[in-house]
Amino acid sequence: MTDGKDAEKHEFREESESLWRIAFAPAIWAIHFVVCYAWVSLVCVKFGGDPAVMRVSLLAISAVALAAIAWLGWRAFRQWNVRDTGDFTNPEGEAEDRHEFLGHAAFLLAIISAIGVIYVSMPLIIIEGCR
Amino acid sequence: MTARRWKSKAGTRAGASCALLLLAACSGRQSALDPAGEDAETLALMFTVMVTAAAILWLCLNGLFFYVTRVSPRRMSRKLANGLVIGGGILMPLVLIGALLAWGLSILPDHDQPGDGLVIRVQGEQWWWRVAYETPEGDVISANEIRMPVGERVSFVLDSHRVIHSFWIPSLGGKMDMFPGRQTNLSLRADEAGIYRGQCAEFCGASHAWMAFEVEAMEPDAFDAWLAAEAAPAGPPDGGAEAIGRQIFAREGCGGCHEIRGTEFQGQVGPDLTHVGSRHSLGAGRLGARLEDFSTWIAHTDDLKPGVEMPPFDHLPQEELTALAAYLKGLQ
Repeated sequence: MTDGKDAEKHEFREESESLWRIAFAPAIWAIHFVVCYAWVSLVCVKFGGDPAVMRVSLLAISAVALAAIAWLGWRAFRQWNVRDTGDFTNPEGEAEDRHEFLGHAAFLLAIISAIGVIYVSMPLIIIEGCR
Repeated sequence: MTARRWKSKAGTRAGASCALLLLAACSGRQSALDPAGEDAETLALMFTVMVTAAAILWLCLNGLFFYVTRVSPRRMSRKLANGLVIGGGILMPLVLIGALLAWGLSILPDHDQPGDGLVIRVQGEQWWWRVAYETPEGDVISANEIRMPVGERVSFVLDSHRVIHSFWIPSLGGKMDMFPGRQTNLSLRADEAGIYRGQCAEFCGASHAWMAFEVEAMEPDAFDAWLAAEAAPAGPPDGGAEAIGRQIFAREGCGGCHEIRGTEFQGQVGPDLTHVGSRHSLGAGRLGARLEDFSTWIAHTDDLKPGVEMPPFDHLPQEELTALAAYLKGLQ
């Protein structure tokens, strides 16, 4: 009886964590956007405003953001577990279904976030200076 | 001809004339779709390609949707359905929009590319434009009108006195904001001689909509001659009415705000009037430049341009207004 309760508690804790996790990839997208703007201002005002420096460092920031999103996406894909279960939509309301559904949602959000980061990064390649 | 055929013909005709009207609205001296300069060409091309691609994307997506829900609504395998949703709904727009973004960025005109030599400084005021042409002999001061040589890339150095404005000549290129205390740069090249219209493109107060200017793109020789004339001080009044007008100008204190080079009028608050008679418009694009426009403007500034700093001189009798107009129009 106690064991069952513990397992439930453990499961619940894990669920509330993965509920958080589905917001991580879009949050990285948002933070990447803000950091790009802030970094351009900083390079222009404090570090001489060399376009090459700006371009390379911005692309490095983008690469880090994309790597983090890719890692989150991979974890979410494993949580979704579609390859083993063959269950795309997880329509049952059981704990396992909820768990896999959250993985599915987080995986799709990671894809959207990656696209967002790539589109935000494209103008950075042609950035020419501070004016 | 049957009634139905006639109807459809009339319908076609009506549709065609509507389309013609719409197309006619794209031309004109203040249209980004009727480019007369290098940068505006690029922007117009970009607009056309983007609109066309958006139309294609819209038709493909909705066509696919219409096909599977109305034309052929049959059961399909999960694999095919997923393929259609992922392929038509995600991958196709992703690739198309990504390609458009990359292409758009690659041809985006550089607003700050180096000019061919001529530098024009423009400062935004509420609601007019202070203009200075940089020459080796010093600045040539003008206002509310810009003249530039055809075929030469001109550098504009922009800033603003009190609020944010935006400098925009749609026929020649993109817009650029003007900030108080900060310099922005824009370079434009006119490829066709003509008179275009610029407009403030950032809301800047009550008379923002009346803050415009005329742009004349001239052949280089004509431009050089014009600039030499613009640099010269004003000539003396020619004839009786003009001389009377000059006296009224002095008596009413107009010179406290306006400068007329070569005279005792040295005010710096309002637009320079040294050669105001040769400009194409009055009140920063508010009125034309006929003799009667001058007297209308002087008597009714606040009606024509709400909030303007220049007070209306409607207490002056009509013959004095006419004399003032004659003096100013004579400042060629």
